[in-house]
Amino acid sequence: MAQVVLKDVVKNYGNVYAVNHVSLTVEDGEFVALVGPSGCGKTTTLNLVAGLIPMSGGDVVIGDRIVTDLDPKDRDIAMVFQNYALYPNKTVYRNLAFPLQMRKLPKDEIDKKVQAAAKVLDITHLLERKPRELSGGQQQRVALGRALVRDPRVFLMDEPLSNLDAKLRVQMRSEIKRFHQDLHATVIYVTHDQLEAVTMADKMAVMNGGFLQQYDSPANVFANPVNMFVASFVGSPAMSLIPLAAVTRGTEVALTSPEGWELPLSPANARKALNAKSPKVVLGARHSTVKLHKSQVPGSVPGKVYTVEPTGDITFAQVFVSSAILNISLAPSVQIRPDEPVFIEFDQDKMHLFDGETEMALKAD
Amino acid sequence: MSSVTGQVAYAGAPVAPKRANVFKRIFNHRNDYLYVLPALLVMLIVIAYPVYYTIELSFFKTPPNLQMKDKIFVGLDNYWAILKSDSFREVTINTAIWTVASTFFAFLLGLGAALSLHREFAGRGVMRAVLLIPYVVSAVAASYVWKWLYHSDFGVIGALAVQLGLSDKPINFLDNVHTVLPSLIVVNIWKEFSFAMIMLMAGLQTVPEQLLRAAQVDGANAWQRFWHVTFPHLKGVSMVTVLLLMVANFNSFIIPWIMTGGGPAGASDIWITQIYTIAFGRQRYGVASAYAVILFIVMMTLGYFYVKALTKGDESRAG
Repeated sequence: MAQVVLKDVVKNYGNVYAVNHVSLTVEDGEFVALVGPSGCGKTTTLNLVAGLIPMSGGDVVIGDRIVTDLDPKDRDIAMVFQNYALYPNKTVYRNLAFPLQMRKLPKDEIDKKVQAAAKVLDITHLLERKPRELSGGQQQRVALGRALVRDPRVFLMDEPLSNLDAKLRVQMRSEIKRFHQDLHATVIYVTHDQLEAVTMADKMAVMNGGFLQQYDSPANVFANPVNMFVASFVGSPAMSLIPLAAVTRGTEVALTSPEGWELPLSPANARKALNAKSPKVVLGARHSTVKLHKSQVPGSVPGKVYTVEPTGDITFAQVFVSSAILNISLAPSVQIRPDEPVFIEFDQDKMHLFDGETEMALKAD
Repeated sequence: MSSVTGQVAYAGAPVAPKRANVFKRIFNHRNDYLYVLPALLVMLIVIAYPVYYTIELSFFKTPPNLQMKDKIFVGLDNYWAILKSDSFREVTINTAIWTVASTFFAFLLGLGAALSLHREFAGRGVMRAVLLIPYVVSAVAASYVWKWLYHSDFGVIGALAVQLGLSDKPINFLDNVHTVLPSLIVVNIWKEFSFAMIMLMAGLQTVPEQLLRAAQVDGANAWQRFWHVTFPHLKGVSMVTVLLLMVANFNSFIIPWIMTGGGPAGASDIWITQIYTIAFGRQRYGVASAYAVILFIVMMTLGYFYVKALTKGDESRAG
């Protein structure tokens, strides 16, 4: 296994930058998820690491070698594709043996490695079948097996679970995580599903519009999103963002809404709000950090219930606050109805403040 | 890792539903048959009846004046006469060489053209259009043009050969029993390879990009990617293309008839030109019919494999 370093990697098609000066380091044995919406450049980044498309600029280093100008086969990587990309005319055995055959290994060694990989993935009984005779989950295992036999320095996975049904996806998710833990493999994993990234990865690289937005552990990304995009992309349901305005009242700072209510800020939050380039400040709050009251309490702001979604152990409510919709999680015992006026209390320690102009998270210093 | 999915393991080929009686099935689908009836009737008149009449004539000695009421029943005599004749052997060998060589090289050339046109390069659209020209040009016009190109006195090809020093005198392509068939086959390949090219180009579009990428990561070079990924994907369309080319080549008439008429000394005679000569040259309709019936049987055999190749594709798509 090896470390992977992307140095200022660029891929552009004319004026369109699919990958815009991305730099990041994947440590040896680390599981890194590249995550972002469709078209954010995550798959392009993975293909650049694999060498499947030529780079416009920058370097890729795997282990101690600069591989920027090497063919995919010389980079010592293995790749798992979204549609599994199994060779349909070959049996499972021959699919697993193919990368070894291409490397001209002796037959008995190929057999040994194929059998070993098949055993790890529990597909020994499928070796003589053709891919079309397998279920989606089984095909995915074979695809993993084909990556595994090679004993590569890096595993690249391109949305390997998105073709599976929901139940199987959850199961395969834990299997891939286990696979990573057992092998101490370096894995770069592309997904559009932030939940997959959060649950599986040691670190997640959130991308949007070709730019790397944030690269950190899932817990840190969740707790301290650097900008409004990351805040709204990571977490389910997403963080609610309410555009407001900061006003100074003597020594106090408050956020005001166009409707006229005011939310006084704690000293720490006040310092953040004053760092904004303009009075425009966006308040961000996760569903679990806000409280809902049926009558006004000090520091609460008015809202109106939009929808109520019971899920069993938690009830999600969407509440209109100023011009935005706020997600709130409630105990199922709380009884509210749509259109009911309610009051919202924010946790000053857990709220996020963003600059309304730059969309960046505001800091206290 | 634990044993997985909880899904039922694949149990081999799907079990075919029990086959109902043919008549019962027709009865169950009587409305469907009603809808195809008009087309079926037209087909019966314009195809089934001529086929039947040809088979009938093949058992008779027919008068050259077309007074078919005077025809004499001779049983299988026409067939025996054909099968025993020396000319039948020669013509059959010619037909076999003509069909196999034309099909093989047209397919190979078409595959090469399709593969080269599949990559992105400047002028690809123009190249594609140029390579399609042989397919759209009328066969009659093309045959006359090639006849002139091959001409022993005025032909461009012969003149070029002299100028390039390949030959000291113009080559007599079409009036030489050894060169005439290969020369005609070249024309036929030129005419047909675009068809193979179109078919294979369509086939190439269905090769999944991800598979080629997977093979690339697995360490396959360009030739190995073609052999392990692209070619297996083209199997179905290749089968169909080869069969269609074979049928077309068995049935070729225009190129040999216009360029040589089967000559010299029958050196470029193939089944169809032979049948035409016997029927409309020598007015021996009975013998020509017997000949046509033999050809018909060969064609139906090819047709059987063609339909089988086509429906096999359907099944695998459905499955």
